[in-house]
Amino acid sequence: MRAFRAFLFRLTGVFDKGRKDLELAEELESHLRMQIEDNLRSGMTPGQARRAALLKSGGVELAKETCRDRRGLPVLETAIRDLHHTLRLLSRSPAFTLVAVLSLALGIGANTAIFTLLDQLMLRRLPVKHPEQLQMIWTTGPNFGSNQGSRASSYPMYQDFQQRAPAFSQVFCRYYTPLSISLGDQTERVIGELVSGNYFQALGIGPALGRVFSPEEDDRIYKGHPVVVLSHQYWVGRFGADTGVIGQKILVNNYPMVIVGVSAAGFSGIDPARSPQIRIPIQMKPLMTPGSDNLGDRRRQWVQIFARRKPGYTMQSAQASLQPLLTAILRIELESPALRDIPQRERDQFLARTVLTESAANGYSDLRRSYSTALVVLMSMVGVVLLIACFNVASLLIARAAVRQKELAMRLAIGASRGQLLRQLSMESAVLAVMGGAIGLLLAVAMVQGLLRFLPANGMLATLRADPDWRILAFNAALAIATALLFGLAPAWQALKVDLWSTLKEGAGSVGGSRGSVKLRKSLVTAQVAFSFLLVAGALLFVKTLLNLKEMNSGFRDIDNLITFQIDPARSGYSLPRLKAFYQQVLENVRRLPGVKSAGYAWVQVLSGREADWDVLEEGHQRAEDRETQAYVNGLSPGYWRTMGVPLLEGRDFEDGDVGGHPKVAIVNRKFASTFFGNRSPIGRRIGLDTGRGAKPDTEIVGLVEDSLYEGPRQGVRRQVFFPFPQMNQSVATAFYVRTSADSGSMFATLRRKVLELDATMPIYEMKTLEDQLDETLGSERLSATLSAAFGVLATLLAAVGLYGVMALTVARRTREIGLRMALGARQGAVLWMVMKEAFGLLGIGLALGIFCAYLLSRYVSSQLFGVVAADLGTAAVASITLAAVAGGAALVPAWRASRIDPIQALHHE
Amino acid sequence: MAEKADVWQGTLALMVLKTLDTLGPLHGYGIARRIGQTSGDQLEVRYGTLYPALLKLEQEGFISAEWGISDNNRRAKYYTLTRAGRRQLEKESREWDRTTGIIARFFSPSEEAS
Repeated sequence: MRAFRAFLFRLTGVFDKGRKDLELAEELESHLRMQIEDNLRSGMTPGQARRAALLKSGGVELAKETCRDRRGLPVLETAIRDLHHTLRLLSRSPAFTLVAVLSLALGIGANTAIFTLLDQLMLRRLPVKHPEQLQMIWTTGPNFGSNQGSRASSYPMYQDFQQRAPAFSQVFCRYYTPLSISLGDQTERVIGELVSGNYFQALGIGPALGRVFSPEEDDRIYKGHPVVVLSHQYWVGRFGADTGVIGQKILVNNYPMVIVGVSAAGFSGIDPARSPQIRIPIQMKPLMTPGSDNLGDRRRQWVQIFARRKPGYTMQSAQASLQPLLTAILRIELESPALRDIPQRERDQFLARTVLTESAANGYSDLRRSYSTALVVLMSMVGVVLLIACFNVASLLIARAAVRQKELAMRLAIGASRGQLLRQLSMESAVLAVMGGAIGLLLAVAMVQGLLRFLPANGMLATLRADPDWRILAFNAALAIATALLFGLAPAWQALKVDLWSTLKEGAGSVGGSRGSVKLRKSLVTAQVAFSFLLVAGALLFVKTLLNLKEMNSGFRDIDNLITFQIDPARSGYSLPRLKAFYQQVLENVRRLPGVKSAGYAWVQVLSGREADWDVLEEGHQRAEDRETQAYVNGLSPGYWRTMGVPLLEGRDFEDGDVGGHPKVAIVNRKFASTFFGNRSPIGRRIGLDTGRGAKPDTEIVGLVEDSLYEGPRQGVRRQVFFPFPQMNQSVATAFYVRTSADSGSMFATLRRKVLELDATMPIYEMKTLEDQLDETLGSERLSATLSAAFGVLATLLAAVGLYGVMALTVARRTREIGLRMALGARQGAVLWMVMKEAFGLLGIGLALGIFCAYLLSRYVSSQLFGVVAADLGTAAVASITLAAVAGGAALVPAWRASRIDPIQALHHE
Repeated sequence: MAEKADVWQGTLALMVLKTLDTLGPLHGYGIARRIGQTSGDQLEVRYGTLYPALLKLEQEGFISAEWGISDNNRRAKYYTLTRAGRRQLEKESREWDRTTGIIARFFSPSEEAS
């Protein structure tokens, strides 16, 4: 405490030095006078009195000096002096400062930006009680039923775990579903999370207002808990943090419910990339997902299970304790009517299912799974970019130190310590790093905002933020310090190795610095070239992957004039007949719009990663035992194929008459036809969905269409069967497709209006062109390709600057020698070649190193590639040639300058 | 060297505090004279040691300084013991007693005998 007080005193002392000095002088003066007066009083003569006083009190100057040191903080003062000096030096060479700060800022900024995403998606722990105890639970193997979403389990399975798992104090589950919310006359679509009653308790999240769910109150009665908990973010954003919302009635999917609480601030859910606006007890599932109940069905897997581990268990022991429980549950399930008759082989497969778990300390996110590899690869790439930037700055600093060698030697000679000089040189690195870091931070915020656009935008990313918090600031600062050490130490050390005698002896001083510093710079450049090769080759691979995926024939024609949007009347409380009529009405109204060529709708939105698949029965074959019978299903309206631009190869399209009550019909694609029927025509054959016992092939194939993509380019073409949507009797959302002749952008508002004319409260969502849809689906590939390309360009430029610098230095050092050669008759061409040979030598070593490293690293990226192998020779060749061209071009400048050296002037040089 | 100065500064600080405690507010010369007299002219306090010591005590908050007028109408800086300074003095003198007590026991005849 005392020490701190003294420190503050001294800190202020730094700034009002002059006044304090005067004050002390006056105090000492008065001391002296009093001493003299005393001496006079004791009978001395004035002269004696003065001399005695001076003798007795000691040196005035020494006292002043000691006090001055005591008053301020000498360390701080020297630092400030060094800072002044450094800033003056840097402002005197603006080009150097600009290049150094800019390359550092770009490097640090890009790193901070990627880290911001990486941190939020992958590293952060959930803001809940003891996140390290959370574990996600799922099972592998066949369930002989339907699956929804990743890592899904059936609800009865969850209940078994909840009641009987020994290792967990709480087992809870959740399910995401879109919901329509009506408040007054406004209807909007939100992400809802259906949760087990113990969800909040298990996570340790309390209410900010009202109450949260409890297992006693909200998990007892089937369909009996019409209550809603709002997320804090939604409450603030949508309700203006109005405390009056508690007890307020709202319509959820047109069903009256009551808001009972708001969950704690800062809690957005288990998925770091998706934050549900409202939560509803899972017992309300049948009302929240019209047309599907699933709560009691063991064959339908749809909930994700999480659990809180009891103390004393590890992840592994907890997982192991679940396996006997699962096997026991499966044995009971095998006795159920649905599974009783399955063949022995399938029984064995079923019983071999295993439990898997994973730490859920930082939650679980599908988005994270699809982006994490890309982000890690990009983080490594951007790290390499920073390394290259550091090498560049290091190289520049070495050059500067070389120029300043005489000055440094002089200062050493007149008594400066090496420590003092080192301090000053480090100050230069520190200033560059701090400026680079600060500008980098600003760049990072802008870059993250740009990056967020690459991620799918359908309301999932409310949680990802661009503004830096303390973690990001700390990362940024650490990065700046690390870079300063990286690029500052070697040059400083190099500079201080000066040999006083030889440096001072040389007349004009050596322009290029010592032999050692040139060698160091050459190795830096070689490393830069090697790193740049890695980045350029990587970028080429990712760009090729994206192009391969994008240019893969989707089967759909002219997708930028194809608008898609979705509506979900079931969630506005429409009955099935009303829903079918509504879709028909929308279709007719849209088709009548000027500028619309054709329109249709589909049950499963294409190119969005979504899918539905079923086992198919074929007439004449019994239930298949060991044959691939899986087919990917969609429900379509008439006119769909014409709208999508997919040609009908045989038979007919669906017609308005293909509705319930009429003969069941289907269309298949070419891949399906060739798998099931070989070369024979599929028209007229009968198939059916294998929905269990009693399923019959009761549907006639009436059409054959050309292949087109389903989930997306990575999955390729699937075996597909299409049914008329009206015959499927599904109360589900559909995606409309509208082919326009006018500019698609201008049609958005018109289409929206047309739908709202029919129902003013109907939420219309995900309206975009099919091309945008494809881009969104390829989000992680686009992210990798765009960013790695940017990094590649940046790295190439930095390497070119590096090579230019070193070659310019070499030429400067050899000016005399070159002049002599030319005086002796060397041609300009020969001189040019002599310099370029050296540059190509450096390039060659760098490229060789780069190719070798690339070969070692290639297997880490192969999972991210499509249609191109990681060790692709063509790519390596293109990368090498690009780098050689750019960097060689940079080296050409000093080489050309060398060839223009005037021998006479050069020989006078020194 | 540095250690010796510290010891001297430590004891000087104690002397300054004690002087201010006994005589009340006093200027630097007064303090120096008083210390000289009390020591029977065995100690001579010079500028170079006194003023840095005073500055340190002021920075630590044990004394406060204010310009005033001396008996013979001269402007001088007067130092006053603060409450923290008084506590520090009590603490330091207790410690001093203890230290000297221990040292004294080393040099007492009984110690030599055993």
